[in-house]
Formats: sequence, C-alpha cells, structure tokens
Amino acid sequence: MLRLVSASKPASAALLIKVAPSTSLAGRRTFASTSARQADITLTVDGKEVTVPQGSALIQACEAAGSTVPRFCYHDRLAIAGNCRMCLVEVERSPKPVASCAMPAMPGAKVWTNSPLVHEAREGVMEFLLANHPLDCPICDQGGECDLQDQSMRYGADRTRFHEITGKRAVEDKDLGPLVKTSMNRCIQCTRCVRFANEVAGVEELGTTGRGNDMQIGMYVEKTMNSELSGNVVDLCPVGALTSKPYAFHARPWELKHTDSVDVMDAVGSNIRVDSRGVSVMRVQPRPNDDVNEEWISDKTRYAYDGLRFQRLTVPLIKQGDRFVSASWEDALAAIADGLRASGAQGDEIQAVAGHLADTESMVALKDLINRLGSDNLTLDSVGGHAAPVHAVDVRSNYLFNATLPGVEQADCILLVGTNPRHEAAVLNSRIRKSWMHTTLEVGLIGERVDTTYGYDYLGADAKAVADFVAGKSEFAKKFKSAKKPLIIVGSAVTEHADGAAVYNALAKYVEQNKSQLVTPEWNGFAVLQRVASRPAAYEMGFVPSRKASQTKPKFIYLLNADEADPKSIPRDAFVVYQGHHGDLGAQLADVCLPGAAYTEKGMTWVNTEGRAQMGRAAVPPPGASREDWKIIRALSELVDAPLPYDDVLSLRDRMWEISPTLVRYDTLESTSVEAALAGLKTLAAGTANAKVSGAPFVKPISNFYQTDPISRASVTMAHCTRAFVKGENYGFSELSSKPEAAYA
Amino acid sequence: MSALRSCQRALQVRAVGRSLVSARSMATDSQSAPPAKATDDKQIEHAPPRDIVAADLVSGAPAELRHRAVRIFQYSRSTTQSGDAKSSRWRIDWDILPGGGRWENPLMGWASSADYMQGTRIGFRTKEDAIHFAEKQGWDYYVQQPEVKVRPVKNYAENYLYRPNKLRIIRTK
Ligand code: SF4
Ligand code: FES
Repeated sequence: MLRLVSASKPASAALLIKVAPSTSLAGRRTFASTSARQADITLTVDGKEVTVPQGSALIQACEAAGSTVPRFCYHDRLAIAGNCRMCLVEVERSPKPVASCAMPAMPGAKVWTNSPLVHEAREGVMEFLLANHPLDCPICDQGGECDLQDQSMRYGADRTRFHEITGKRAVEDKDLGPLVKTSMNRCIQCTRCVRFANEVAGVEELGTTGRGNDMQIGMYVEKTMNSELSGNVVDLCPVGALTSKPYAFHARPWELKHTDSVDVMDAVGSNIRVDSRGVSVMRVQPRPNDDVNEEWISDKTRYAYDGLRFQRLTVPLIKQGDRFVSASWEDALAAIADGLRASGAQGDEIQAVAGHLADTESMVALKDLINRLGSDNLTLDSVGGHAAPVHAVDVRSNYLFNATLPGVEQADCILLVGTNPRHEAAVLNSRIRKSWMHTTLEVGLIGERVDTTYGYDYLGADAKAVADFVAGKSEFAKKFKSAKKPLIIVGSAVTEHADGAAVYNALAKYVEQNKSQLVTPEWNGFAVLQRVASRPAAYEMGFVPSRKASQTKPKFIYLLNADEADPKSIPRDAFVVYQGHHGDLGAQLADVCLPGAAYTEKGMTWVNTEGRAQMGRAAVPPPGASREDWKIIRALSELVDAPLPYDDVLSLRDRMWEISPTLVRYDTLESTSVEAALAGLKTLAAGTANAKVSGAPFVKPISNFYQTDPISRASVTMAHCTRAFVKGENYGFSELSSKPEAAYA
Repeated sequence: MSALRSCQRALQVRAVGRSLVSARSMATDSQSAPPAKATDDKQIEHAPPRDIVAADLVSGAPAELRHRAVRIFQYSRSTTQSGDAKSSRWRIDWDILPGGGRWENPLMGWASSADYMQGTRIGFRTKEDAIHFAEKQGWDYYVQQPEVKVRPVKNYAENYLYRPNKLRIIRTK
C-alpha cells in the first residue's frame, strides 16, 4: 500500500527539542501514578522517529514529533476524556482510525496524522459537531479565536447532510454568575469545563445531565459557579459556549494588541497577557508558564482590569482647605518641598510607606531618597508595618516561598499556618489541590477554618496549636514527622499577628530539628506565602525601619501606593504625600496627590513570593498627566535637594543590582543553600526567643477575595462578584439574562 | 562601499563598548546567566566581544530609536486555542512611549499615536539572529524568557485507576 506522508515542516525539529517530554520531566515527580515507569519508547509519527516516556498518550507523541493533531476535548492539564473524536489518527494495522488522546503510545507503532483516511475521518467528525452548532460566528465572542471555527475551516466539509425538520438542538442558557456568560446552544460537549471544575477549581457541582444529543452542561440547580478560578473555563471552552461576561461584545481578538506582563493582584506573579485596544485595557489573559501559574489565573487577575478605568488620579492635586485643587507637576512638587520644609521633619521623622502595588524600581528610588534625607523610617503598608517584621530581612529564605510553586506538587505532607491559599494565592491553591487529588498528600491547617477545595486535618486556630504540632501531639504531626518531603506554608498574616514571633520561633526550631527532611539540598520545606505583590521586593531591598525609626512620630509621610494605611496611624499635623494611581483611601489622607502609573502602564520589575523577579511591560500609556512612579520620585529628589544618581531606568536597575542582584536576574530563582537557610533559621529562632503568646486566634487576612487593592475596589466587575459570591445577593445580571432577547446575545 | 567599510572600522570599538553596557544592564536572559554558586564570588565575566557592524549609521533610522530598548521574545501560546502556530519565531518589538504613545483622537474617538514604531514587529528564526540584529542597529535589548513547558505524561487509563484511600475526586462528567 502506498502512503503519502507529508514532508516534515522545517519548524518541527525545533518543536521536538522544545517539547521533548523526556528531558523536561527529568528530576520531577509527576503526579500521575502511571508515570512512575520512566522508560522511554520510540515510535514513528508521519515518518519521523520520536521518543516519549512510556505511558504517554499518542497525541503527546504526535505533538513531540511536531505533527499537530486537532482536538477539542483533550487538554494538557486535564484528565483525558476522549469524547470529541477530533483527534483521530491512522495507526498501522489498526482497522479504524484511533482517537489519539485516548490511545497510549505503543513502542514501534507507525502513525500517520495527515493521511487521506485521517482527513476523511476528521471531516466526518466535524460534520457531526456542526450538525447542532449554531451558525452565529458573526455575533459570537469566540469568533477569531475559536478552535471550532479554525478546525472546520481546515478539516470540515463545505456542506452538511443534516437537514432536520426540527432544526438544530436548542439548549437553555445557564446562569453561572457575573463572570461567565453562557450560550449553551454552541456547546459541543467536550466537557473540558466540567473536568476543570472537578479537578482544578474544585467545583463539583458543574456537571453533565442527560446523554447523547440531550446532554447538557450546568450546575444541576440554579446556582452560580462560585470559584476564584472560574474565569479559566472561558479560555478552556473551545467554542463560544462559555465566554466572558464583562468582555462581551467589547472587542474582537484581531483588534487587540498583546502585551506580555506580570500580574500584581497577589504575590504569585502570574504571567499574564494584557490585551489592549487604543488606550484602554480590554482584557487580561493568562500566559502559560509552568514555573509559576501553569495556565490559570484567578478571577481577580482576569477581571479587575475595568478598575483601571475608574477612580484614576490623572493630574497632581494639592489640598486647599478641605478640597483638592488640580495643579501642574512643578507646583505639586514644589508644594511637597515646601511642605517638607514647613513640617520641620528631621531625620527619622520623614516616613515612607510602601503599599501593595508599589513596583520595585519606585521602592528602590524612594528608599534611596528617604535615606538621603537622613531617615530610616521605611514602613510597609500592613498591620504592624511600622516595625521591622519578626522574620527580619537579613536572610532571604526566612520570608520567601523556598519550596517554589512547582515544588509544592512534590510535597507529601503540607501544614498551612495562618493562611488560606485559596484567597491569598489562588493559583498555588490549585496546585495543592492537584497534588492532593492525585497523590496521597495530607494537609493540615492551623488558623481560621476555610474551604480550601481539598480536605485537611484541622489542628487549631492559634499559636497553641502550633506548639502542639511542634510537640507532635496530633495524628497529623506524627504523619508530618515521617513524611519524606514535608512542607510548612506560613501565611503572611502570621507576621502581622500578635503571636507571630512565637509562631516563627516554634517553627524555626522545629525545622532545625527536622532538617534532615525539611532542609536538604533538594528540598526546603519552610515556605512563607506572601500575599502582596510588592512585599517580597520590599524585604529584598530592606524596606524596613530601624528600631529607633519605628518609634519616631513622623512629621512628613510619603505614601507610595499605600491604601491600606490606618488613618489613625497618621498624625494630624503631619504633611502627607500620596503617590499612586487610584483615588482610594491613601489619596484621601494626602495633602498632595501625585498621579502614578498602574501596573499595565509601566514596564517594571515585580518579585513574587518565591523571590522570582519578573519584568512587567507597559501595554497602554498612563492616563492624563500621570507618570511612571520612579520618575516622579526622581523629579522630587531634585526639589528636596537630594538628587538621586540615576537618570534612566537602566541605571536605576544597575542600582538595584548593587542592592541585590536577584532583583534584576529575571525569570530565575536563586535558591538558598542549606547552610544559609539553617543559619537564617538560627537567627530567626534567636531573634524571636522571648516572644510571648497571647493566644489570640489567627484570622484570615482576606475576607473578600474580590476586593483587596485599589484596582479591584474600583472595578465594577469585582463589585458584582462581591455581591454574588461574598454576600450571596442577586448580582444584577440575572434579570438581564432572563429577558427573552438576551437568549440571542 | 569603501566609505561604509571605513565607518565600520571606525565605529567597531564604539559599538562593542555599547553592547557590553547593554549586556550588563539588561541581562534579562536567564538562559545565558551563569548559575550562581555560593562559593564563587568572582566577577562574572563579560561575553567575548564580537564583530558588530554598526548598521545604524547607514540604515537611515532616526537617532532617537537608539534610546529605546527593544524586547526580543516569542509569542506565547494563546490559552483560548490549542494551536501554537506563531510561537516558534522570535520577534523584536518596542516598548510603548509613555507620553506620546497613544491618545484618543478628539475628532473620531480613535486612537492616534506619535510613535512610529508602535505597529512594527520584526520576526527572526532564532534568538541569536534577533540579538545580532539589535546589536547591529545599536539598540539596547532584553530577551524575554520563552515559555517554560512541563508536560506530564497523560493516560486515559488514569481515569479508572484504583485508589485504595478515601475517594478524593467526584467526577460529574
Ligand atoms: S461549555 Fe464549552 S467547555 Fe464546556 S462542554 Fe461545552 S464546549 Fe466544552
Ligand atoms: S481530543 Fe481526542 S477525543 Fe477529543
């Protein structure tokens, strides 16, 4: 039999190297239990030999060989379903085409992905899929980025043989909440959304009813999809059945400019792609990065962008009496210089407060400026931020997530202390859930009881529970002792708690005692989970006050993106400057407001909770007269007679390199050596040695996941989410979607 | 031609010097960054100087272009689709201009721009080609790390795997 094998594309060789699973998997324990056999097998795909680990699906082998296989239901990060049949390929000595996603790759198999038989089979599958699919591409939001559209252009027939008198199947739209819009007529029942909800998000209510042509996707009862990862089903849906409600009919994919950037809504540093049109951000999409966020982002990351349009500070403002008057940059900066002089602030009475959304460059510039003015009063915008944190900032491993985000999946026993990762780092939480489902991972929790989407042993609510755990009193503590790769995740709220020092002391001693498992060259099981994007960088550069400075009453306060400050902590007679992008709490307290740029408007450095520096990128220009933040501080330094020595961002990054090279070693992780980590724990234990225990329970720091920073507080979408998911009210969209005409939209 | 050569020779030193500066200040390329060793506190050595033709002299490009850093990157795969067609080529593009980059045109409400590079993107087959081009033009550049891919082995049979412990997943598929 003569076969036509298409010539391999020139790019395929590069693809093979890039994807080659056998190399990328080396040294990692995958969660799938069948992948424990690491033997490799060799097979031939489209005439090209390819080697993949045993147990791979055939579609993975085809991908490794650089042959694209169309698919709807198969997804790299979800369990295999095998129900769309689009991935049919021809295998030698097989009487029928086989679904390559559901077929294991066999050694020595000969596979064709581009033969006439395959094309015919795919055409047939396409015909079935399109039999009930509405022809509404012109009014469908998925148009232009739709797998069904593209693949029907490539593999579909030009006509159908289905001419049912009853017309196409009609399915009622479901109401999944203020984020996900449904148009269930378009559903091709690939069940990706259901698998995502089951496996990743932990929403077990999203599922299927009926079978065959009558199968429907829904929540079974009238219920919204309450998950902080729900936006990802919009991406997963290969057709337009699930689309984004806030983005509905706003833009087409080909109008958008893509800018790769980094998220700042939490400290995970999820990689995002900001899609903009003209001067506005139209949407935020995840960017796959297996080291950080895999392929998911949280709903706050994805949908808070509309907050960038509201409540913005666009011109410098000077307070006159009880109202703000807009001013020019010169006047505003001069007013600050005058205010500093008039306040009579000397030395440590000049205070700088770095808030949640302050970028690294501007914090470095501000620290340098304040130090040049003779002050050490560098405060963080958090509870207890006016004093140095209990873990100090001398050793990196004391405040970073040392186990790394992908490393969480290797842990076989996790203790969460005073943290709810579901709301503090939603993407990390999905990793814990993934590991919990596929391995025998045990999780223990000390702190407020929360729904984590995975089961856990509840150990208590306060520092006493930590002491009990260290003493090995519970069942879980014994399991933890015998675990091979145990992991302690300490929440950032512990530092802010009255018993923080005692908890750190107990845990540091525990880790030191059990260093054979917890601190080894391959594994560091002591991890601090930061929840604020700017915090790891602030610790890294030493943005903390000296002991003397933390007791000084400030007369001049510089709030850099600080919007969580307690108004009572600001003395009445102090001169307050606010620099930031939103008219939120901080701006209200200020005497002078300087408009800065938001994270989508500046290409700045962000350090995530692992200590990974990543470069964001400007997608749109900042509105009005607002400027990049470090430039504002640089300009101000001239007026207060303490000029900073850098004139462009490159020399500022040189300065960052001097402070800590890790701040500018982008996309890499500098792991701490065992000796340094142990020395750090020793100083941590010594520094907190005589801590008292008050016994107050830990409370979760985030009570409303959807509104944690000025951007999300200004966002209408996040306000809808708060009403729908946090308060459980009717969120205003459902009347709309129950109107008859909405069914066509 | 000979004129070009002589400028080339005259400018080589300058070009090399500049590229070293850019390599230091913009070393975002983690691939080439040497892994830091705890004991090794020696100065990290610079890359050996290469012959760089200073093409910007004759390219006719505006001199201001030299003050703008370019980014060398690969398109990331779109998460809304399964194909990864555009992601193998390397591109060069420019950061937006903060002030005159874009504004809303008061007449039509469309976006106007004073940035002549805002629509320009240059494609290359390899990262090295892109870096070479940027160096030739005298542009500061930074290289964005390509997507990190880890593909766990997948198997249909895992759906039916027996697990002795308590059932941890409820499948509603
Ligand atoms: S709604 Fe979309 S993702 Fe879910 S089964 Fe239907 S087509 Fe698949
Ligand atoms: S991708 Fe293989 S059956 Fe759907």
